[in-house]
Amino acid sequence: MTNSPPDALLALTNVNTFYGQAQVHFDLSISVPRGHIVCLLGGNASGKSTTMKIILGLVKPRSGDVTFDGASLLGLSTPQIVRRGIASVPEARRLFADMSVRENILMGAFVRNDREAIAQDLDKMLTLFPKLGQRLSQRAGSLSGGEQQMVAMARALMSRPRMIVMDEPTMGLSPLYVDRVLELIRTINQEGVSVFMVEQNASLALEIAHEAYVLQTGKIVLSGSARALKDDPRIRDAYLGGSEAA
Amino acid sequence: MSSWLDYTINGLIVGNVYALVAVGLALIFGVSRLINFAQGSIYLVGAYIGWVAVVQLHTPLPLTIIVVAVAAALVGLIIERFGLRPLQNSVRIAPLLATIGISFVLDQLVMLTFSPNPRALPSQLPDVRFQIGGGTIGPLDLLIAGVGITSALLLFVFLRYSKLGWAIRATAQDRDAAMQMGVDVNRVNQAVFGIAAALGGVSGLLVGMYYNQIDTAMSLQATLKGVVAEVVGGAGNVPGAVIGSLLLGLVESYGVAVFGTSYRNLFAFLLLVVVLVLRPNGLFASARQAPPEPLTGTFIAPSRPVRIPRWALLVATGIFAVLPLLPVSFYVLQTLINAWLLGMLALSLTLVAGTIGQVSLGHAALLAIGAYTSALLSLTFSVPVGLAIIGGGLMSAALGTALISPSFRLRGHYVSIATLAIGEIVSLVILNWESVTRGPIGISGIPPLSLAGYELVSPISIYWFSFIVMVVLALLQGRLLGSHLGRSFRAIRDDDIAARAYGLSLNRYKSLAFIFGGFAAGVSGGIAAHLYSYINHETFNTQQSILALTVVILGGLGNVVGAIVGAVALVGLPEVFRIAAEYRILIYGIVLLLLVRFRPQGLLGTM
Ligand SMILES: Nc1ncnc2c1ncn2[C@@H]1O[C@H](COP(=O)(O)OP(=O)(O)OP(=O)(O)O)[C@@H](O)[C@H]1O
Ligand SMILES: [Mg+2]
Repeated sequence: MTNSPPDALLALTNVNTFYGQAQVHFDLSISVPRGHIVCLLGGNASGKSTTMKIILGLVKPRSGDVTFDGASLLGLSTPQIVRRGIASVPEARRLFADMSVRENILMGAFVRNDREAIAQDLDKMLTLFPKLGQRLSQRAGSLSGGEQQMVAMARALMSRPRMIVMDEPTMGLSPLYVDRVLELIRTINQEGVSVFMVEQNASLALEIAHEAYVLQTGKIVLSGSARALKDDPRIRDAYLGGSEAA
Repeated sequence: MSSWLDYTINGLIVGNVYALVAVGLALIFGVSRLINFAQGSIYLVGAYIGWVAVVQLHTPLPLTIIVVAVAAALVGLIIERFGLRPLQNSVRIAPLLATIGISFVLDQLVMLTFSPNPRALPSQLPDVRFQIGGGTIGPLDLLIAGVGITSALLLFVFLRYSKLGWAIRATAQDRDAAMQMGVDVNRVNQAVFGIAAALGGVSGLLVGMYYNQIDTAMSLQATLKGVVAEVVGGAGNVPGAVIGSLLLGLVESYGVAVFGTSYRNLFAFLLLVVVLVLRPNGLFASARQAPPEPLTGTFIAPSRPVRIPRWALLVATGIFAVLPLLPVSFYVLQTLINAWLLGMLALSLTLVAGTIGQVSLGHAALLAIGAYTSALLSLTFSVPVGLAIIGGGLMSAALGTALISPSFRLRGHYVSIATLAIGEIVSLVILNWESVTRGPIGISGIPPLSLAGYELVSPISIYWFSFIVMVVLALLQGRLLGSHLGRSFRAIRDDDIAARAYGLSLNRYKSLAFIFGGFAAGVSGGIAAHLYSYINHETFNTQQSILALTVVILGGLGNVVGAIVGAVALVGLPEVFRIAAEYRILIYGIVLLLLVRFRPQGLLGTM
């Protein structure tokens, strides 16, 4: 049924996705091995965010399968998928702007009921993201972009996920914050959380990823280990092609 | 006799009652971006359940309140589960129309169960009044204030400190993001509908006790007032809804103090229109709040219209044209005359709502303007009836467009609210402008239809007259839709931002649509006036606006032939099946619900 390696935590197999008549994915197959950082690269409108939505169950594919830890996610609703252990850092952060930073972070623990452990995890987030300490009671919408990214990541971690999916986590951040975010992703990963991230900035993403896929107008045109892809001239070509087609 | 303090107290008490309705509306709007037009029906149900509890079961007051809250909450849960949840993935207009259908069904069920006659709802509280300052206050006032404040506090604590409350707030701010936190949006919707319904039901109970009277007309009034308060406070803003309600209560109360009772509602709707035009996000909105939803594009179900061959249309027209010559009964002609009049209104509405995407809920106002103009022209100025009807059409076109034009920058639900309010305002102006409209007495002795000096009194001549007028209007409209202008209309409906980017002036096109539509509706109203020979401010009411909307959806939004088919079906089928008059509105409500659920593109498809 699936030809993904047995240690894949998440696997998309031959996924075809449509918005109405328009096809966005063509036989998309991606696998995220346990404990790895996998990066999906691609130009604008290549279908990256839609891949995130497929994983989270916000959009359902017309054909193909999505499995997490061996079990299909297709019949599940988004909240059910989240309860299986997938947390997300959505495109453009999507914080709850009118809620406080503390409430935002705690919303990440919505699926949990262990009050004391949640409180401990909140403290842990404040050591991981020290800047958020003074901002806890501030409206999330009033934070800077970089700070919002920190909140979004802390929020995702609060569910104690087995895997985090991130949509362009470095988008719109200053170089300083970009490095910080990448560093954090690596830290999170070293604590055992698998990461699937969507990026436009290939050179940055390949710094921290184990494997990468390149998506061009809905088709995987290139994939392999990050190390190998880093020096591959075809990455640039795929990109230029991708953005031209968009 | 009453002091200012009394008017202030009265305003605040009534405001408290509105707040119970408006807070529910705000919660629902926050979570699902839906104006729940069934909120007033739940309020009505609450009042009648309260009546049963008090008068038949003799429950003590605290128990009565609990019974009403629980029973109303159940109704809310049922509405959410069976009326709205199945529509989650349909076009944005679907849930709005569904709540309208549900409100018709609930109101009619209450009316059929309890009869439309008003009933007394005693408050069970001692009838004493305490002096405070220059005014007085009674135990019921204190009860209402107490219930209002307690509910607000409970709601605040719930939203702030409970897990479900957090889920509600998160969903209101970003539904997708909330789902990604594991929030089950269905449960959130359920909770919100349950709470809104409980508050609405208790509100109905308290109002019934306050006036010691309940009747089925309460429903629409409550929805309207709740919507006004909610929009004034900023749609979806819960504290805003409370303040908006108190403000509305005070404005009404002072308005009544200065101008008299019949002006109460006029002030409410004027307040609404002013707020919609000047601050559509509400008085307290800050820049960060979402602007009025951009939902023109997916507002109406797209579909491929059913192609009807030209010969079939010609044959059908021919059959209906010669029908009076066949041995058909007087009753059939009468029914079809009504269908043709409704067809003209539907033509107008299908253009405005379907083709250009402005879903009007106050279209009967255009009938009223046409009818009054034509009646007064012929009565007061002895204008020949044929000309007077055309005058009615022109007046409807001009006045209708002028009234709606300040709302042209609104979209989606807000257009519907604005048109609903304008419809009410027209009817209230007719009621209060006695020197011209003869106020509540209405206009009687309107001359019968006539053409070039010949009175049309036989059913056959009236049939032909109305049929021909309708066919001419339909042909003109078909022409219009096929022209460049029609394409521009649809472009605006499908994406007004893109349309503007292409250099289309939205206001001009919307005006043109309302001018044409206003004329058709005005002519229909004019003919009706001369047929009925008597009209008053209630002849053309919201029920007719909704009936017209049902017709238009039944036929397929924007579809000219569909509008006429829909009118014949909705007027004709109840006659064919000999459905008693009191069940008809119920049937219309059910038809609307079934259509929205199973065939949103209507019989012949949207165009
Ligand atoms: N809800 C939707 N309805 C219809 N089409 C959509 C929808 N969402 C995305 N699309 C279309 O699908 C295609 C892929 O969109 P997607 O958001 O997945 O791209 P992306 O790779 O994330 O682009 P970006 O780099 O701009 O974020 C685009 O052409 C987009 O216009
Ligand atoms: Mg994207």
